[in-house]
Amino acid sequence: MGPSLFSSLFLFILVMIAATIAASAAPDFESEIAPIFEANCLSCHNSADAEGDFVLQTRAEAFDHPDAIQPGEASQSYLIDQITGLDPAMPEGDDPLSEEEVDLIFEWINGGAPWPEERVLRDDPPRDLDWWSLKPVQKTNLPGNRTDNPLDAFVDQKLKEHDLEPVGEAEPRTLIRRLSYDLTGLPPVPEEVERFVDGYGSAKSERSRDEIWKAFIDRYLDSPEFGEKWAQHWLDLARFAETHGYDKDKLRPNAWPYRDYVIRSFNEDKPYGRFVQEQVAGDVLFPGDPDGIIGLGFLAAGPWDHVGHYEVGEDKLDGRIAKHHDRDEMVSAVFNVFQSTTVQCAQCHHHKFDPIKMEDYYRLHAVFSAVDRSDRMYEGLTPEQTVERNQLLTRINRLKRETYNINADVERELTARVSGIKRRIREIKETYGTGNNPRLGFRSDVKSKADSDTWVQVDLGKSTSVTQIFLIPAFDGKSEKGYGFPLRYRVEASDDPAFEQNVRLLMDASQEDQLNPGTETVAVDVGPPAIQYIRVTATRLKEESTGHLIALGELQAVDSFAEKNFAHNTTVTSSASLEEGERWNPENLVDDVFYRGDFDQGVFEELRALEAERDRITAEVRSPDIEARRKEVTAELKVLEEQLKSYQSKSLVYAANANWPSVGRFFATDGKPRPIHLLNRGDLESPGEEMSPGALPLWDGAPETFFESADWQEGEARAELARYLTRQDNPLLWRTMANRLVQWTLGKPLVGSPNDFGRAGMEPSHPELLDFLAIRLRDDPQQSVMSLVRLLVSSDTYRRSSQHDSNNAAIDSNNQYWWRADRRRLTAEEFRDSLLTVSGVLKLEERGGPSFYDFVIEKPQHSPHYEYHLHDPNDPNSHRRTVYRFVVRSQPQPMLTTLDCADPSISVAVRDESTSALQALTQWNHALVEAMAKRFGERLSNEALPSTEAVVNRATSLALGRPANSDELQLLGQHYETYGAASLARVVFNLNDFTYLD
Amino acid sequence: MNRRSFIGTMGSMALGSMFFRDGLLGSPGVVQPLHHKPKAKRVIQLFMAGATSHVDTFDYKPLLGQRDGESWDPGEAVELFQSRPGATFASPWNFNPYGQSGKMLSDIVAPLGEVVDDMSFIHNLVGKTGVHSQATLLQTTGFNFAGFPSAGSWVSYALGSENDDLPTFVVLPDHRGFASNGAKNWGTGFLPAQHQGTLIRPGNPTPITDLHPPKSSFITPESDQAGLNLLNRLNSIHAAEREGDNRLSARVRAYELAGAMQLSASDALDVSQEPQYIQDMYGLAPEGPGVNDSVLNTKAETEFFGRKCLVARRLLERGVRFVQIWSGNDNGFPRRNWDSHENLKRDHEPLALGMAHGTAALIKDLKQRGMLEDTIILWTTEFGRMPCSQGSAGRDHNPFVFTNWISGGGFKPGTYGESDEWGYKPQDRSNYTSVYDIHATILHQLGIDHEKLTVRNNSIDRRLTDVHGHLLSDMI
Repeated sequence: MGPSLFSSLFLFILVMIAATIAASAAPDFESEIAPIFEANCLSCHNSADAEGDFVLQTRAEAFDHPDAIQPGEASQSYLIDQITGLDPAMPEGDDPLSEEEVDLIFEWINGGAPWPEERVLRDDPPRDLDWWSLKPVQKTNLPGNRTDNPLDAFVDQKLKEHDLEPVGEAEPRTLIRRLSYDLTGLPPVPEEVERFVDGYGSAKSERSRDEIWKAFIDRYLDSPEFGEKWAQHWLDLARFAETHGYDKDKLRPNAWPYRDYVIRSFNEDKPYGRFVQEQVAGDVLFPGDPDGIIGLGFLAAGPWDHVGHYEVGEDKLDGRIAKHHDRDEMVSAVFNVFQSTTVQCAQCHHHKFDPIKMEDYYRLHAVFSAVDRSDRMYEGLTPEQTVERNQLLTRINRLKRETYNINADVERELTARVSGIKRRIREIKETYGTGNNPRLGFRSDVKSKADSDTWVQVDLGKSTSVTQIFLIPAFDGKSEKGYGFPLRYRVEASDDPAFEQNVRLLMDASQEDQLNPGTETVAVDVGPPAIQYIRVTATRLKEESTGHLIALGELQAVDSFAEKNFAHNTTVTSSASLEEGERWNPENLVDDVFYRGDFDQGVFEELRALEAERDRITAEVRSPDIEARRKEVTAELKVLEEQLKSYQSKSLVYAANANWPSVGRFFATDGKPRPIHLLNRGDLESPGEEMSPGALPLWDGAPETFFESADWQEGEARAELARYLTRQDNPLLWRTMANRLVQWTLGKPLVGSPNDFGRAGMEPSHPELLDFLAIRLRDDPQQSVMSLVRLLVSSDTYRRSSQHDSNNAAIDSNNQYWWRADRRRLTAEEFRDSLLTVSGVLKLEERGGPSFYDFVIEKPQHSPHYEYHLHDPNDPNSHRRTVYRFVVRSQPQPMLTTLDCADPSISVAVRDESTSALQALTQWNHALVEAMAKRFGERLSNEALPSTEAVVNRATSLALGRPANSDELQLLGQHYETYGAASLARVVFNLNDFTYLD
Repeated sequence: MNRRSFIGTMGSMALGSMFFRDGLLGSPGVVQPLHHKPKAKRVIQLFMAGATSHVDTFDYKPLLGQRDGESWDPGEAVELFQSRPGATFASPWNFNPYGQSGKMLSDIVAPLGEVVDDMSFIHNLVGKTGVHSQATLLQTTGFNFAGFPSAGSWVSYALGSENDDLPTFVVLPDHRGFASNGAKNWGTGFLPAQHQGTLIRPGNPTPITDLHPPKSSFITPESDQAGLNLLNRLNSIHAAEREGDNRLSARVRAYELAGAMQLSASDALDVSQEPQYIQDMYGLAPEGPGVNDSVLNTKAETEFFGRKCLVARRLLERGVRFVQIWSGNDNGFPRRNWDSHENLKRDHEPLALGMAHGTAALIKDLKQRGMLEDTIILWTTEFGRMPCSQGSAGRDHNPFVFTNWISGGGFKPGTYGESDEWGYKPQDRSNYTSVYDIHATILHQLGIDHEKLTVRNNSIDRRLTDVHGHLLSDMI
């Protein structure tokens, strides 16, 4: 042993010396090596992606690869191969490492590659802010010599640059129709069209034409319809709907105030910065102003998983996943909508394209860590009363949580200890026919007279040798024994199912009334020959409380030792109408379930023992202490909830909220932030460090974290975020909105990806114009949206014709530079509103308030079913503008969906515009189109127009804003004369010219 | 006018982009040519809403019988969705071997015994959560929250249509209502709208919404046809006057296709054209869709599911690419779905027997027509159910392991991947199957590389398989 021990020791010492030398020579891992790996390698070589099967996250993983890092032998290490050479393989698709960096790694490996076991590397790329949207908004002078309209100045410059010659102005009729739809979402009324065409067409000077144009713009902007149309743009972005989505898809009856708030904000031309702030932290920044709370409907507008929050709860992983999704949904909405930033991509790893790190993303989770979504009062209480109410709620919620915990503990223990016992009890009761709802047997319907022959018959399936037949009376173990057992009866057998021939009488008990057998079995001897059909015929029925009837618990046909029951699960028929249900069913006559209590005492003793054991355990778990505390809590809750009633208000909005009476497993935070951790790979089961509120440092001077101290207030974090968003030096927010305003007026945005200004998005077609408009919005003391809209639609660019030009198309086929106007299809809402308008049924003045249903709700208690096909399209309650419809998430309105309305599960910046056969079917056959065609036809008929020509002209004036052309006069006229006004109307509603705006 | 002549008349216009925008039926897919030679052309997804218990159907666990009623201890902490773990709960049904393979099936799926040698079982599938809505979306869209295209939409988008007059992606819902998430399970997300699943309700008086005019005081067959002819003329004139805008002529074409669809859809749904023995094989009830289902019962479930399977076969024959068939509606009461928290026997038995009857008929029928080899049938559900009891007669959710099976489409029959002895978690916990693997392999059989079928949305190149998915190469 000696020499061996000595040599091991010697070897050990040698190794130790070598290691010490090596370590002292190697560059420091933490300060010199880790940053290189984290900045250059970890985005691919992390445990989740594991590209090339090589992971540099932990020491163990890195050394798991056999050749990559060979301590002490850098030149043998595959890693060095990969990062050196003329054209290094790594980092893939990026600049090679510097010589200095390569040297450091080389020395580190030669020095033994020390790497502390506990140090986990993380992808930590440098923030690259060199991207157009992150640079400060730039002031540019107007190009060229046009000063009348800045949009035209910038657009003309680009047209000139690309040798494009803009087409001329559109016809006045086209212009007024375009303007009316773009600003109000409705067709212009014919009189208005004529007034505009007369004035604009005959104007003496360009100046007076412009004045007429601007007067119409102002008229539309001042109308309440403007807000109704423009709110829809915003509601698409805000993923607004009035049900939760997900499982059960329950209603949000108080979501509509947010919709009205958006309409009101556009109509009042609310300063944009304020509009943003109200939707993130209005409750903190504008206390006492109802809009400050209603605006928070934005945060809550998206989908919400009722089951995850309400039924599962935060003490389970699934419930915590639901909370995580909830915060992710809010964070994404804020950054996609206000900042055109796809922050949600940094959930599992750093953003692949943009300088957004996981830490940034989880700091935003911290901002929303104390809010959930629920109904919230927005007026009726003073700020002091609100504080008092919240304090009361905190106390109530604490007690509710205690009750919940007590019950959960009791339930956990009870389930573990008694569920096996309970199941055995149930089994016994089921088999022995004494359960709560036992399968008793066969029972006939009720007869008026006792002496009505009634039979029940069993088909054994084939000819069978039967020794005995047992008739077992029905009994449920509680009420009367021998229920329904006949007073007089016969038992017969036959090989003829009709019992017309070869009938063998087995027992005749029909000569006098029999004693009721109670629970005793009646045995009938059979013996040879074999039989197939057995019939029991009652000749005098027993009278029960409901009347005369026959009932039997079980019929058995057994062999000589009663070992086999041939009747089990065979077919039962009867002359009586049968009852079918759980207790009484023909099948129950042969199901082998019947009362056996009187001859199987052992089982009943077991049953009693089991029940006693169950009661003993239950009493033990629900100890007197626990019961006493529960009573105490319940009593206290009752008192507090009574007090809460004095703080009620009916003005509720579904919004971000921290204070409400907890319900189910949906517990309010009462303003106490939930701890938020960075989640490795986005996995709740791999939490990293705890995060405090902050935002994205995407431009110089932008804050990364909001608070120095760990002790911060929920509302303050959102207020900081709102301030961050609306900072003057924020390069994104103002550009984002300017881009949307161009999109909503001119039909397409300057940046083709309005919710993403990052590297994966698109770049602006007119960058100077975008910045010009952004500055105009930001620096306007009113931050007026309307004034920018006015600027955009008063331009020549807006007024261009949509006519094709092949020379221009050869250069710019997509019309990116606006050499013409873009023809557009009516949106789904515009189509529906136009049907109602043209038919004369639209109730334009019924604005705001709770939404109308264009469906019928079935089964509202559990999971509501939204049945659109049951809705009556002539229901006047639904003849309101489409923006006031009740928006269902999981079962979207079929007609509007087919016409490409927005999906409220996600923020929709640009709607799809598809053309499909299903759309044709919808527009041609939908019940609403049919109903409105009829109404439109009636309208035309009621006007008592003098001729076919007059009818056709009136139809096109109302629907298309112009008199009919010669083709239409002829063809529509013929159709009208043959098929009537309603059929004419149906055709008009399907014309291309009704659906498209030139 | 068929599609070829339509293309011809459109001359030299930018065809690719036009079809992209058009969203017409009959448009080709974006994956052209296919990434590799395909083994299959079409897919049927059978979805058991509410979560079928694997241990009571396809995944035989004798240990549950041996330990029945004893307290259940898998040797680790267990967190259940609704309840606390109860005692070990033996399956209420017997299992017997079937086919050459001797695969054990329970009595409630015994009708599938006849075709069991054409089925490939995966018993080690693992889900993400035990919440129905999320788990359903994960199966249908590959993501456990809303906003993503359904697998059927991806297939429609990738492969396009094989016919001119029917949708590419058809959904046959449970007639009693939708499963959780409703239409989100067949929505297109960010793909063009024509790839959404089209709802067809076999047996319903109006099986396809708006296919025909509603009951009307003024619409007659004559006025209807005259109106369509008139529209064709006026809209063609309108389009001709506006050069350079394909959408306008596409809209004219859309109305023509709508007319064609009226004819072919009605024809596809008319199962009375099928010989009696075929109707019997699918288990159609003599009284038809009006069969009494006041109490959940096997006869009615067989009729409902069998009719959908038969209609699905007729749709596939006419070139539909992807059919989703649903069994079970949302989580209402009384139960009409597989979510057997309270009473496994009462609910699973009729639903499973009905499903198994129709599905066995579908497999046999496709096989006898030579269609099984290029048709993939995927049977799935949200998750499995626990080996222990909930209450005394139900089972709670088990997202930790459950079963899928596939038939046809070049999948090799057999069993791939096992669950542990309880049916609680995968046998090999570091080596399990995910929905991404299933989706990747199905796309592969269709000739599509799941990593190459991408669409950029919100900065991310989105895939059906997110950033996951490995081919199940043993199975193909």
